[in-house]
Amino acid sequence: VRCAGRARLPALLVLAAALLQSGCGSRGERPIVIASVSDVSSLDPHLLDVNHPTGSVIWSLFDSLVRRGPDGADLPRLAQSWERRDDLTWRFHLRHDVRFQDGSPLTAADVKYSFDRMNQAPFNALQQLWAQTTLEEVRIVDDYTVELLTGKPSVTMLYWLEEAFVAPKAYYSAHDQAYLNTHPMGSGPYALKEWVPGDHVALTANAAYFNGAPAIKDVVFKVVPDLSARLNGLATGDIDLALELTPDTIAQANGPHSRGTEVLGLRKLHFGISQNSSLAALKDARVRQALNYAIDVPTMIRTLMHGSTTPLSSVVNPPNSDSTLTPYGYHPDRARELLAAAGYPNGFDLDMDFTPFWGQDKDVSETVAGYLQAVGIRPHLHADEWNDFRRKLSDASFSGLFYAGWAALINPAVELVIFTCHQEDNASGYCDPKYDELVHAASTEFDAAKRKALTDAAQSIVWDQAFWLFLWRAPLYAGLSDRLDYELRPDDYVEIYLARARH
Amino acid sequence: MLRFTFGKIARTFSVLLGVSLLAFLIGHASGDPVLLIVRGDATEQQKAALRHSLGLDRPVLEQYLSYLEHAAQGDLGISYRQRVAVSSLIALRLPNSLELAGTAFAAAMSIGFALGVIAALNRGRLADHAIAGLSVIGQVVPGFWLGLILVLLFAVHWPLLPVSGFGDLRHLILPAATLALPTLGRMARLVRAGMLEVLSSDFIRTARAKGLTERQVLLHHATKNALLPLITQAGLELGDMVGSAFIVESVFAWPGIGRMTVNAVQQRDFLVVQGCVLVTAVGFVLINLLVDLLYAAIDPRVRVRT
Repeated sequence: VRCAGRARLPALLVLAAALLQSGCGSRGERPIVIASVSDVSSLDPHLLDVNHPTGSVIWSLFDSLVRRGPDGADLPRLAQSWERRDDLTWRFHLRHDVRFQDGSPLTAADVKYSFDRMNQAPFNALQQLWAQTTLEEVRIVDDYTVELLTGKPSVTMLYWLEEAFVAPKAYYSAHDQAYLNTHPMGSGPYALKEWVPGDHVALTANAAYFNGAPAIKDVVFKVVPDLSARLNGLATGDIDLALELTPDTIAQANGPHSRGTEVLGLRKLHFGISQNSSLAALKDARVRQALNYAIDVPTMIRTLMHGSTTPLSSVVNPPNSDSTLTPYGYHPDRARELLAAAGYPNGFDLDMDFTPFWGQDKDVSETVAGYLQAVGIRPHLHADEWNDFRRKLSDASFSGLFYAGWAALINPAVELVIFTCHQEDNASGYCDPKYDELVHAASTEFDAAKRKALTDAAQSIVWDQAFWLFLWRAPLYAGLSDRLDYELRPDDYVEIYLARARH
Repeated sequence: MLRFTFGKIARTFSVLLGVSLLAFLIGHASGDPVLLIVRGDATEQQKAALRHSLGLDRPVLEQYLSYLEHAAQGDLGISYRQRVAVSSLIALRLPNSLELAGTAFAAAMSIGFALGVIAALNRGRLADHAIAGLSVIGQVVPGFWLGLILVLLFAVHWPLLPVSGFGDLRHLILPAATLALPTLGRMARLVRAGMLEVLSSDFIRTARAKGLTERQVLLHHATKNALLPLITQAGLELGDMVGSAFIVESVFAWPGIGRMTVNAVQQRDFLVVQGCVLVTAVGFVLINLLVDLLYAAIDPRVRVRT
């Protein structure tokens, strides 16, 4: 005990010295740090579940045959060209110069192995390639040519191929699943350095990438669940790309060494209008139109959404949307007239469900409820627990309106499917055979002009019949440090191999 | 003592069994993990195939018994979300949590004890009031807010420490301080009260009368006796820290078991939730067992009463 007093001071000095030393460490070649709310769930390319962060990391480690451009364009990636041999056969010509990171060449056998693997459990619960394209067989023509045979003509083949990643057959058939989850082997622009689950994924540039090594050598996808921690990290320079900021915090991303940036996302925010409700009013198109006329979307965008978006004017995203459609606009008198014409001059009781998931859920729901109240409807707001909400989405069992965001898609054939009879994610429960006919005809029509006429006709039905209470496209907000130049994609994916360092 | 020990251990096991059953039932009642794993547009067949491959189509009791059987052998199942063994996920995160909680606990105990003694010796003076104020603040300020304020001060305003994350010693300071402050406050108050009581007792007067120096009186007589009631409190405090760690780990992006549990709850990855709850419960129950046995060893009266 007696010597403790003397030992204490040196111990403190050692501690202080250690702190200072680590504090003054070199900051020279620091990797680019991307901060997101959640961690990747797996590094197996065929367990890809969400566009970001899992998708962003998989896009960096692996390649698909076709690349989806930020505007939805189909661009060559592993396939340098492709053609349709007939309505049911697609032929892809692979590049000859692609090697996996273990040095083995990428051939048609790897493509066949990867796609066949996506058709097996558990991968087929997440991968839509086979189910959505009616793919029936992957045929190897030669080492660098593959054919995809479908049961029905599929206009969405390229779209789904953009999310189908190629892994080396030899490596993936030699290891067990637990190993493959954490030890990916791809041909992509980056290779895995380490994954510390719950903390970060570190990637390093693949110098032998067929398209040339990416400009930024080291990248870290860091998990920072707390919003203010992401903003603080941006301010101190610890974070170079802070994702998932919000309309009310985007201004804080502007600082001496950082700037805020935003892009109009693809996700369409709306209130679904349940057709499985016991409330007959919701089955009347006039009532649904009245709901749309009753709310002032532009004012909500200005006050709740930082003015970063515009009112929806179709269920299909541009550039494929029908440009003749225009937003409903704020006409409360029109709404009252329509309600009276439908037989509800005194309004009705209306359940409105929301869940904290798409952002501003509570604010948006309360504001919309206020507008509906102003035209005589009696809204009852329900804050659902996410799992409960998810179940109601899956069973299409909401009792009234529900606040939701519809997927980050940019393909009319896929976007319109949501309202077809008994479709898995038709959470509103619409079923109109005339609409289904249009959508199904469009999904097998290869002639672009004819397809556009069909999708435009389907969009008009959705719009005129007011299948949703239409709001806006969700903007994406992020903060960038002065070390990085990067343009956000509207579909949440981060293609960091396209980013440039700023000097 | 042997019978006492065995009784305690038997009770420990029954508590763990109860905890595992409760975690299992709540996990199952909270919803269908298949719905949260698949994409919105997955077909009914795809969902059924996944449900089968995860073993979720078996009767609940059968699932529980097979879970127990495997858990007893250290196999806590495979995470639905990450398809990795839960035990390996926990093994990866537990050391991080122990590092954080251990540092915070050690700091809270030692500093809290020192402050308590100082307050007792300076009763009614400025130091006493200052320490009382600090300990009240420590107890009433919520952890998440304190964490944010510490970050704003020491990471953003004066960039001395990193904002969040995991790594060297510097990353540990802010989360550990956030976690330690409430415990530190309680310890300081408790030690102060204990010291005041001890200092006014007869054996201290005797010690002083023997002619011992004040330092000897304090270190050898007073503190030792004031320490005793702290053992129980320390056990409780450690449990409390486990609870606070859930928030602190989220605020500081600390990859510990608390944040993993929160994430797993949000993702309905309930084998991970069960595993985390079980491991946390084991830790908590072991600490309690240790405290009970320690107490019984120190103070024989406890054994007789139980």
